[in-house]
Amino acid sequence: MNARRLENRVAIVTGAGQGVGEGIARRLAQEGATVVVAARRAETGEPVVESIRSAGGQAVCIVTDVAVSESVDACVADTVQQLGRLDIMVHNAFMGGIPHKLEKAQIDKHWTPMSRTGVWASLFCARAAMPHLVASSARPKGEGGGRLILITSPSGVEGSANIPLYSPAKAAQRAIAKSLAREWGEFGITVNCIGPVAGSPALLTAFDRNPALQQAIEARTPLGRVGDITDDIGSVALFLASDDSSFVTGQTIICDGGSFLGL
Amino acid sequence: MSVKVSGKGALAQVLRDGVHSDTRSAVIVVDLDGENSITSLTKLTDTYIDEIYEQPMQRVITALQEAHSTNCERIVVVVPTTGMSGGACYAPQAALAESARILVKSAARQWGTNGITVNAVAVEPHWFSIDTSISGAVAIAPRSLTNEVSPVGVVTWLCSEAARDITGQTIVCDGGLWM
Repeated sequence: MNARRLENRVAIVTGAGQGVGEGIARRLAQEGATVVVAARRAETGEPVVESIRSAGGQAVCIVTDVAVSESVDACVADTVQQLGRLDIMVHNAFMGGIPHKLEKAQIDKHWTPMSRTGVWASLFCARAAMPHLVASSARPKGEGGGRLILITSPSGVEGSANIPLYSPAKAAQRAIAKSLAREWGEFGITVNCIGPVAGSPALLTAFDRNPALQQAIEARTPLGRVGDITDDIGSVALFLASDDSSFVTGQTIICDGGSFLGL
Repeated sequence: MSVKVSGKGALAQVLRDGVHSDTRSAVIVVDLDGENSITSLTKLTDTYIDEIYEQPMQRVITALQEAHSTNCERIVVVVPTTGMSGGACYAPQAALAESARILVKSAARQWGTNGITVNAVAVEPHWFSIDTSISGAVAIAPRSLTNEVSPVGVVTWLCSEAARDITGQTIVCDGGLWM
C-alpha cells in the first residue's frame, strides 16, 4: 500500500470555506497534509475543518482576509507557530465577478474587489509563504518541497464576454506564477496555476436558476460535465502539491473537461 | 483619421510619430515601469504593488473606456512579452502586462458587435526598460531576425481598415524571439 503523498506536510488553502478551495483542502487532507482552512468567516471555515476531521484528516481554521496583507502575514505566522512548518500555499480565495459592460465598469465596484483578492492577494500569499517554502524545499528529498499554487480560470487565458474585468485579474495570476517560477527555481520551489471549471456552490446555484446554462456548458465540454471540486480539481492540486510534480513549474493546468483547448 | 496614442516613454513617442490610420483609432501603451525591478518578493510593499500594478492597470481600463466613448473603431494595446514569459524580479510588471493583454480579449468579445476591434501587440522587453539579464530570457532560442524591430508597422496595420476582421489577438512583434 502506498504511503500517503503529503504525510507530514502543512498546507494553507485560502477560500477553503466553500467551493474549489474546500475541495482542494479535502483532497490534500486525504493524502495526509495538515490543512489550514483559511476562510474569511469562521462560520464557513469551521464546518470544513470538522468535516475533514470526521473523515480522519487534520485541519485547523484560521480566519483570514486575503485582501489585507497583515491578515495573510498573520495567517502564515499562526500556521507556522501552531504546526511548525508550511510546505504548500494554495491561493484560491476570490471576490467579485459581477457581470458588467466594460465601457460602464466602475473601478471601485467591478475591478477593485477582483484585483485585491486575485492579484494583490496572490502577491501577499507568495511573499508571506516564501521563507517557509524555501525551508520546506531545503528538507531531504521526500520530506518537503515548497509549493505555491494559484487558482486562476480559463477566462484568464481567453477573456470573458460577461465579466470582462474578471479575466485580467485571473491573467495576472498566471504571469505571477511564471515570474515566481523563474525567481524561486533556485530554491526548488515550484509555482503553478490551475484553471478550473467546477461545481462550486455559485455555479450550482446558477444551474438551478438557469438549467439552460448547465446544458450549454456541458454541451461544449468534451467530457460532458463540470468538475467535482474534490475528485477533479482537488486531485490536480494534489499532483501540483506532491513530489510527483517536482519538475513542473510556471505552468497552468486548465481543468475544465476539455472545454478550453487553446493553450 | 486620427490615431490617439496614450502612454509615456520612448515607445509611445515612436508610435505617436509613426502610426497613421484610415480609421479612428486608439493606441494604448501600457504604463509599465521596468526600471524598478524588485530583488526579492519579501521586499514587496503595498505601495509598490499600487504604483507598479494597480494604478497603471486602472489607467488601461480607463483608456479603453475612453476609446470606446470616442467611437474608436480600432484599439491596440501595447505590452511587453514579459507578461507572457514571466520575469524574475518583475512579478507585478508581468502581472500588469498580462492583465492588459487578456483584457483586450474581453473587450474584443464585448465590443465586436459594434464593429470595434481590440488587439494587442507584444514587443521586446527593452521598450519598457525591462532588463532581461534579471528577468530571464524570454525564450530559449535566440531572436530569429537580427535587425532592429519596430512595432510601428504592425500597429499601423491593426489600426487600419484592412485589419477589420482581426480582433482579440496578440501579435508578437519581437523579431521572432517569442514563438
